[in-house]
Amino acid sequence: MRYLIGTGNYAGFDDSIGLRVAETIADDGVDHGFRVIDLGGNLLDLIHYLDSGSEAVLIVDSARMGMAPGEYAFFGPEQVQTRKQLAGFSTHEGDLLKVLDLAASLGRQLPTVTILGIEPEEIRTEVGLSAALASRLEEYVLAALGFFASAGPAR
Amino acid sequence: MRQDTNIDVHHLTRVEGHGNIVVNVKNGVIEKCEWQVPEAPRFFEAMVRGRHYSEVARITSRICGICSVGHTLASVKATEAALGIEVSPQTRKLRTLLKHAENFDSHVLHVYILVAPDLLGAPSVFPLVSTHGEVVARALRLKRLAHEWGSLIGGRTTHPTTVLPGGFASLPSVSELEAMRDRLAAAIPDVNATVETIAALASKIPAFDRPTEYMAISSDHEYGLYDGYVQTILADGDRARYEVSDYRTCTNEYVVPQSTAKYAKNRLGSYAAGALARFNVNYDQLHPEAKKAADMLGLVPIATNPYLNTVAQVVEIVHSAHESLLLFDELIAMGIEDEDLVQPVSFGRGASAVEVPRGILFHEYSYDDEGMCLSANCIIPTNQNHANIQADFERLLPELLAADTDEEEMELAFEMLVRAYDPCISCSTHYLDVEFLR
Repeated sequence: MRYLIGTGNYAGFDDSIGLRVAETIADDGVDHGFRVIDLGGNLLDLIHYLDSGSEAVLIVDSARMGMAPGEYAFFGPEQVQTRKQLAGFSTHEGDLLKVLDLAASLGRQLPTVTILGIEPEEIRTEVGLSAALASRLEEYVLAALGFFASAGPAR
Repeated sequence: MRQDTNIDVHHLTRVEGHGNIVVNVKNGVIEKCEWQVPEAPRFFEAMVRGRHYSEVARITSRICGICSVGHTLASVKATEAALGIEVSPQTRKLRTLLKHAENFDSHVLHVYILVAPDLLGAPSVFPLVSTHGEVVARALRLKRLAHEWGSLIGGRTTHPTTVLPGGFASLPSVSELEAMRDRLAAAIPDVNATVETIAALASKIPAFDRPTEYMAISSDHEYGLYDGYVQTILADGDRARYEVSDYRTCTNEYVVPQSTAKYAKNRLGSYAAGALARFNVNYDQLHPEAKKAADMLGLVPIATNPYLNTVAQVVEIVHSAHESLLLFDELIAMGIEDEDLVQPVSFGRGASAVEVPRGILFHEYSYDDEGMCLSANCIIPTNQNHANIQADFERLLPELLAADTDEEEMELAFEMLVRAYDPCISCSTHYLDVEFLR
């Protein structure tokens, strides 16, 4: 099984971009050959999709990467290191890189995980999306669809 | 007695959202002892005004990424009350099953991932992988079960898609229900092991008592979760009943300078909502296996130690597992019927209450003759608990000072107290902050 997993917070302004990409793809009603998961803030549930039954996982999330707002990049968790300083784990302060570490520490055979990171313009407590990201939502959707299309047919 | 203390926990960890603990004691005099909530309001109630009744639940489910099932159920129930919609027995059973899945999932997360590290002396769940690997693996097995159980009925557990005013957009098949029922039955050993784990750690739970008023949904037919009336109980057993439509008379929201979130009170200066409140109010209707678990854990109503909310959550995990097995059996025996959505018969005002993991949740809407929302009001359980947490702080601090507790232990005692309430202050940001390795 292949998964596209959107994470984030609808009330976090640009932090909602991962959810909006997932929602847009899920709402088009087309079978793209992968399951779309809206994970919201339940980052720990990501672990359920990280086992030998998963062929590929694409996580869509807002990511501060030092790029211009609205720019995006595909990368693997091994290509980055987190700058988040967390005192402990909660679903609130969760860091999906830490969840991936937790899954690995459990000795699981992890599927290939790719992150589609989208640089936010602003993260604040408000439902909405900045113009920089809203104007490119379709581009992010096409990039996510293209990612799976370029991977060839599912097993 | 300790003379000077300064505790300033900014953004308490292992809770959902932002909350601060500030304690200042100088020369033995308490200058400040506050539970502070600095979250900004998010105006969901304004956002649904002018929206069609069919859209409202989808918007309000976004209030919380953790309790979105509860917000969805509270929203559709309030809309149905406003529109004169009576749903079918099948819909009620499926929704109750969905509610159990959410509470089970959230309680497992809270007990194992957020509280267990305190009881085991670890800063987070990560070190427990090497020291208590089977316990962590069990937690993740139970969470996955609940996640898939909720997804089967709600379409997905975060922001469910199938629950609509008047019924369901799509239904699980009998064979899907049978498969999930068998998986839940197979998980009972993990549920029992959860009770044993917490029973073994019970001595680590701080001894502290502060009787208060406990508020929960009650039902004449079952342990109140999905539907019923509002009931409160005091430590002496005195009960009071309120209809859900009169929820404002028992919540009495007010504002305080130290918090952007509203506080609530009823018969006393504060009240508690959540698993311990439900346990105290509805103990008699717990499943017999849950009562056995309560015995094993030493939890007896009326329990007045707020730290025991976590223990009550364990009892509810057992209750939800066994009650849900019965619900699965009933639905399988009935067979699943395709049902059209029940349509509105009138347009007016309606309120609802649902027990989400953290306590009683109220939604209320009014609609015009076109089914467009005119007004909305949501009172979430965490806000109802803020005044009670503050009152606990004010009782706890003098006890800690009298016992000459050092600052580090004192800070942990306050943190554990807040975490016991499992507060969901707001949904927060989860963005990645990374640098590329070159």
